[in-house]
Amino acid sequence: MRRSLRFVTLFAAVAAFAVLAAGCGSKKSSSSTTTSSSGSSSAPGVTASYDNGTAAKGGTYTVGWEQSFGFTDNFDPTGEYLGNAWGILDNLLIRPLMGYKHKAGAEGNELIGDLATDVPKPTDNGLTYTYKLRSGIKFGPPVNRVVTSKDVAYAMNRLADPKNGGQYGFYYSVIKGWDDVGSGKAKTVTGISTPDNQTIVFHLTKPTGDFNLRMGMPATAPIPHEVGDCFAGKPGGYGRDIVSTGPYMIQGAGSVSLPCASLKPMAGYQGDNGQKLILVRNPSYDQSTDAYRKNYPDRFNFVINSNADDIYNKVQAGQYDDETSSPQPKTIREYTTNPNLKKRLLSNQGDRTWYLTMNLTQPPFDDIHIRKAMNLIIDKQALRKAWGGPVLGSIATHIAPPVMYNNGLTEYDPYSTPNDSGDVAKAAAEIKQSKYDPGKTGKCTASACKNVLMIADTRALDNRMVPVIEGDAAKIGITFKVRSINGAYTTIQTTNKNIPFSERPGWGKDYADPYTFFGELFDSRALIPSGNTNYSLVGITPAINKAKKLGVTGNLNGIPNVDSDIDACQGKIGQARTTCWEDLDKKMMTSVVPWVPYLWANNAIIVGPNVTHWDYDQFSDTTAYSQVAVKQ
Amino acid sequence: MTNPPEFQVSSGGALALQPVAIARKSPSRLFWERFRQDKAALVGLVVIGILILVAIFGGPLAASITGHGQNQTFDSMTDDFGVPKGPNSQFWFGADSAGRDLFVRTMYGARTSLFVGVVASGIALFIGLVVGLLAGFFGGIIDTVLSRTADVLLAVPQILIAVGVVAACSTSKEGCLGGLIQPGLTVVIAVITIFSWSYIARIVRGYTLSLREKEFVEASRSLGATNVRILATEIVPNLVGPLIVYATLLIPTNILFEAALSYLGLGVPPDEASWGSILNDASGYYDVAWWLMVFPGAFLIITTLAFNLLGDGLRDAFDVRSER
Repeated sequence: MRRSLRFVTLFAAVAAFAVLAAGCGSKKSSSSTTTSSSGSSSAPGVTASYDNGTAAKGGTYTVGWEQSFGFTDNFDPTGEYLGNAWGILDNLLIRPLMGYKHKAGAEGNELIGDLATDVPKPTDNGLTYTYKLRSGIKFGPPVNRVVTSKDVAYAMNRLADPKNGGQYGFYYSVIKGWDDVGSGKAKTVTGISTPDNQTIVFHLTKPTGDFNLRMGMPATAPIPHEVGDCFAGKPGGYGRDIVSTGPYMIQGAGSVSLPCASLKPMAGYQGDNGQKLILVRNPSYDQSTDAYRKNYPDRFNFVINSNADDIYNKVQAGQYDDETSSPQPKTIREYTTNPNLKKRLLSNQGDRTWYLTMNLTQPPFDDIHIRKAMNLIIDKQALRKAWGGPVLGSIATHIAPPVMYNNGLTEYDPYSTPNDSGDVAKAAAEIKQSKYDPGKTGKCTASACKNVLMIADTRALDNRMVPVIEGDAAKIGITFKVRSINGAYTTIQTTNKNIPFSERPGWGKDYADPYTFFGELFDSRALIPSGNTNYSLVGITPAINKAKKLGVTGNLNGIPNVDSDIDACQGKIGQARTTCWEDLDKKMMTSVVPWVPYLWANNAIIVGPNVTHWDYDQFSDTTAYSQVAVKQ
Repeated sequence: MTNPPEFQVSSGGALALQPVAIARKSPSRLFWERFRQDKAALVGLVVIGILILVAIFGGPLAASITGHGQNQTFDSMTDDFGVPKGPNSQFWFGADSAGRDLFVRTMYGARTSLFVGVVASGIALFIGLVVGLLAGFFGGIIDTVLSRTADVLLAVPQILIAVGVVAACSTSKEGCLGGLIQPGLTVVIAVITIFSWSYIARIVRGYTLSLREKEFVEASRSLGATNVRILATEIVPNLVGPLIVYATLLIPTNILFEAALSYLGLGVPPDEASWGSILNDASGYYDVAWWLMVFPGAFLIITTLAFNLLGDGLRDAFDVRSER
């Protein structure tokens, strides 16, 4: 009896597997039809906007959301530093002094006055910025009063105090007295004054050509002290009770009440573990004060769904109108090759560079010839294909995307190779100049080139990229020991881990100025032991290593430093500023060579069949929610 | 009425009973006679033999036949969007999502899966044997401490803890415990071992509790044998049968454990093939690249099935009381 049962089990297992295989095979046959039509298809270019009927007021716009709503600081504008969250905040909930048109491309990066009436010109040799507030802008429930310059000053002072969780307060340390608040020497920033309710003035310690851009970031939007005080010293706390100045508010804002003791979380946002973020119209919002937000839908539902496949299925079926997820190559292929779906794949420049980072202190990357050789050997086309092909971006050839230079440096490619696929001969010629190739063989023969630690993440994308990088590096004699870590950023951002190489990093702009690349990524003054984003340790010296307790072991002598170059560019404005950053980009690529940049990413978004109008928000690199419309 | 076979009537007619030698059968022969009747177990044994050969020679042989390295990427084996292409005359199992030869990787994957399964099970068996013997034979406080430790390990959510340990041990070059546990294969083996030995320890303890009361142990003790001698010569030999059975059942369990960790992206590094990591790769393409799931999945099923059938057969063969 038992033996026959085993045979039945064996038969059942084999049969089950056969059925499984047959089921997959039948799906394959349908998809292979799709494949055959893909052969001649060309990749779509960048899509600025999308129309599918007449945009009209009303309806609910539903977005499938793969990550949590915890973002980086529980949606609190003071500390929130995630582009997806910025997209919601800036389009729908808050109005900083400076704003954007919520459009794609260069137009979308162009500053406008939002809470302020216009974009001011600096006075006092670039040391003073005066903003006039637009009249008629009110806070939504539960505050329901006119916004004044003191509310902006309050938000700025909240940001200056580290106890409130601000994550990019460093951008404002050029304001007089800013750092005194951070160090506890003062309670308010002396360089901010409000001569009247409609005027706010910032006094700087040095000319800062991009200061207006810095005043367009969400943390600078007005916060009413009545609610803000309830969350003093509680990072992330205000996210649950954001008082809107924008066209929408968190659902339930009208049902909460002050004072602080009775202030409950607004029902539409449940924080990190919440499944939905629901926004409804703000009754205090006056459309006549806002020339650029269209505000078509009556309601926005942002819905958590951790299954990316399910998100795309629901978008295709019309259950979701939009998504914030990462389309797999198969999804890109389906939407690129199916004529009925093609127009709903919307790909736009993300103002973001993806790159392989090399640590200048760790062998063999402490030799610039090795770093240059890596730039010459890596098959960037293959890496882009691992991402999903040309829809996902263009091949990167230097540090910041050309859009950051008003489309400058588009032709600059110091390590060009045929079809961007790598060139063994060129790389070998570079290797021969390296100390790690004493025999001048054209290969990295020293022991330092073997089993070099590479930190990778555990995403499917990383598993596709790693073999490409390993295969290419092996051509010049470099072999890797790969460590796959879920959440690799934490490791590579810790300086005393001394990670020589990682395939994980990418960097997107904070605002449309190259400083947001160079200042954060290569300024030695920004080096910190953990959370460090200067992965290559550009500018590090033994003294800095000791003073900041970075714990770096390796070759710390002769590391190139670009701090003075950054400072020089920061003092410039206009075209001179752009040219300065371009020159620094070239210097980075030829004299420092900290990266192998390989992709200037596009943000590929798929919309549902019920969307009638869609735009891209270049500032936040997300859907321009203030422009979208959906069938009712 | 016929005579019993051991007595024969002499040809002279006189009633003279002649003794006939009884054919003695050793325990191993008895075991083999019972085992060979189990066709399913024999099939399992043959399949495992083939899998071992595949694990040792399969990867290099496949690479040699196809001319494809296990980490060699082929641009032609992914389409313009990076979606892998299916089987053809040069890529018998098709390609994985990085454009690598799936046939070669599946063969190398056999090595990883069997290595992890066998090594982790071997270590777990050893630890479980020692702990179970000590707990069962000495009892008292030793039994309490060791048994409760095993109970704790049985009670914890294994996958969750394993995910945590693997992640923690993979965040540095050095690994864990001063470099004793290295990221990659060794940490996977260590984690699997941690959660496997307690099953064996419980079983061994139970057998030992029973065996230590047997007459032959009493006899040995009365002759002055030490505890170590009793354990080595009386207890352990009687545990060999059960241990072999449980080893064959533990190996497939641990192969699946490794596959689960690799499926979660926490197993072997991406440049080392394992069936679990290939299945992880397949999860993003299950509806457009059937081959990614079918080939490693088939090997995984066949392997676990073969070990389970063998283990089942061994249990029946060792257990003289079982009915066939």
